[in-house]
Amino acid sequence: MNLLQFYAHNSREALTLIGQHLFLVAVSTGIALTVGVPGGILLTRRPAWRGPVLGIANVLQTIPSLALFGFLIPLPFIGGIGARTAIVALVVYALLPIVRNTYTGIAGVDPAVREAGRGMGMTDGQLLAMVELPLAAGVILAGIRVATVVSVGTATLAGAIGAGGLGVYIFRGADMVNNTLILAGAVPAALMALAADGLLGLAERRLAWRAG
Amino acid sequence: MSAVLEVRGARYALPQGRVLVEDVSFGVAPGETLVLLGRSGSGKTTALKLINRLLEPTAGEIRIAGRPTHALEATRLRRGIGYVIQEIGLFPHFTVERNVGLVPRLEGWPAERIAARVRELLALVGLDPGVFGARYPHELSGGQRQRVGVARALAADPPLLLLDEPFGALDPITRVELQREFLALQRRLRKAIVFVTHDVREGLLLGNAIGLMQEGRIVFLGTPEEFRRSEHPACRAFLAAAG
Amino acid sequence: MARGVTGRRSLALACGALLAAGCGRGDRIVVGAKNFTESDLLAELVAQQIERRTGLPVDRRLHLGGTFVCHRAITAGQIGVYVEYTGTAFTAILNHAPLGDRDSVYRAVAAEYAQRFGLTWGRPFGFDNTFAIVVRRRDAERYGLRRISDVARVAPRWKAAFGYEFLERPDGFAGLARVYGLKFAAPPTAMALGLTYRALADGKADLIAGNSTDGVIQALDLVALEDDRRYFPPYEAAPVARADLLGRHPEIARALDELGGKISDDAMRRLNALADVEHQDVAAIAREWLARTLP
Repeated sequence: MNLLQFYAHNSREALTLIGQHLFLVAVSTGIALTVGVPGGILLTRRPAWRGPVLGIANVLQTIPSLALFGFLIPLPFIGGIGARTAIVALVVYALLPIVRNTYTGIAGVDPAVREAGRGMGMTDGQLLAMVELPLAAGVILAGIRVATVVSVGTATLAGAIGAGGLGVYIFRGADMVNNTLILAGAVPAALMALAADGLLGLAERRLAWRAG
Repeated sequence: MSAVLEVRGARYALPQGRVLVEDVSFGVAPGETLVLLGRSGSGKTTALKLINRLLEPTAGEIRIAGRPTHALEATRLRRGIGYVIQEIGLFPHFTVERNVGLVPRLEGWPAERIAARVRELLALVGLDPGVFGARYPHELSGGQRQRVGVARALAADPPLLLLDEPFGALDPITRVELQREFLALQRRLRKAIVFVTHDVREGLLLGNAIGLMQEGRIVFLGTPEEFRRSEHPACRAFLAAAG
Repeated sequence: MARGVTGRRSLALACGALLAAGCGRGDRIVVGAKNFTESDLLAELVAQQIERRTGLPVDRRLHLGGTFVCHRAITAGQIGVYVEYTGTAFTAILNHAPLGDRDSVYRAVAAEYAQRFGLTWGRPFGFDNTFAIVVRRRDAERYGLRRISDVARVAPRWKAAFGYEFLERPDGFAGLARVYGLKFAAPPTAMALGLTYRALADGKADLIAGNSTDGVIQALDLVALEDDRRYFPPYEAAPVARADLLGRHPEIARALDELGGKISDDAMRRLNALADVEHQDVAAIAREWLARTLP
């Protein structure tokens, strides 16, 4: 049967898996944002930490995704089968682009602007909220966009560890040598990634400060 | 008239031990412009930054209107001091209006009052508020930007202004223009001003008092005429270089 | 003129002979395995047995994929031999309803494979690796579970987890649930087969479908329930090889026949435990077993 027929026959299951996939991406990206943006801001305030923190994030990023899932499974608390492990792995992968871009975006603000702001009596918080973050918003959003698109793809591996998502179709299709099943998982995942890329790209262009 | 700014024995040493400013003392009265003159590395910018505590003095006492600067919280202190730098540092994402009105906004002035004050200041520095108010910094020339910088520094009507080589990045013609306007503005507003420069001609033109700094110390403090007549080798060197 | 023609003919014959010889000599046997430990072990046994008895070079493709992947691979000629289970071939590949005794299933499978796919079934090794419906021992004791029928009582409060293949196969979950009237709280969670044991041990699932000869069942304090309604067909493990390969090298068939009937259920379980519980190397386990059993 072709792809559309498959979806017609399995609409409830397909929607469930899409929902699970979105859940995994949304929660992990949300956590990565909550940790990563303040983390990136902190790095601009503590330059000594920049090397080690970015270095660690870089190393984590290079771990092949399937391997990371494998490492996490035996661990207590954050490991085991299921969505929690998948989310931990996805957070790890989303952190680097977000932390690094937050740092770069803020560090890239003209030092004269920062000095003028301080000299006029802005507190650190006011400087951050009124000057640094607005000027860095475009770059930060670019990092979020990369993190999200990567997450959508990596989340397909969640199917191997019982965390659901579109990977279930892909694994099932691979085992059964059934291309329709594989596509049933891969196509929506690809569309999701494209949509995220497009929407966040739009937001990025809106918020990015373009001088001159 | 009592001095607005009193600096006594100010000292700044780096954590590693190197001393950038040593035993600097001077006073500035309302209506007076003290020029801190010196070569690069003489400590003049460092000394300036001790006044608004962008750098914390290692020793010495600095008072503004009689109150020690360390008695106030640093950000509160700075809101009461106008600060103009060479690179200007306007916020690129704010309109000219929002840039000028920054400190009043931080201080919580009502919107009406801010708007009126901004209009007043733009006119004061020679920029038509109707034309320039809604523009962004990247749409202005260098000279226009620095005028906005000065307007911004004056917005909350501080008694003291600190200017760090404010016209250094401008072309010679614009520089002369702004120097002239600076003099006119000072005659009107009569602020206490500390003006840092390495240009002796600018210093002699704009200053009521010259403080020549060398290796972190003030080696000469006096009027421009006294400077011209001085036998001090540093003064002679500066004058000779200026031709 | 005559000499020229003779010369050209000899040259052609020589080339042909070289080519033929080259084909025979360059014929590498490829043994595949499914993606679980027992299959890897049996593939190693088969590969080493062929090597030591025939002297032919053998390549391994262990952990290749599931049943369907291996079947596709052997029919396409990408592998020459792999170990399959009669029940699996009967229901999943040939799509028959799962019934019949051991011998009839074997005969049916051997005949149809030969006719439809050009594949030859060798002698079964001697054990039956059926699906084991596995639960935690303390649950079995608490709820008095000995047979799969007993599970129907607790199923509505339980979670099940299965590998992808068990969920899809006709002799898999759908049939099991129907025959035993099992209604779980939610549809079973799908995951990589190997992880289902961990899910069960960690409490993330209450029931899984393992294999009856798995080495970890005892190690993890789990219990396999009796298939009282005889839902699962017999699953005798035997080597399946391409007929054309055996035609070229009949010595391979002889080597494989030597393995027939040599591995009991318990023996297979012990071998699996050596790999899964004691983490010994699969090739080493196979070598030692062959040295001991078929010197």
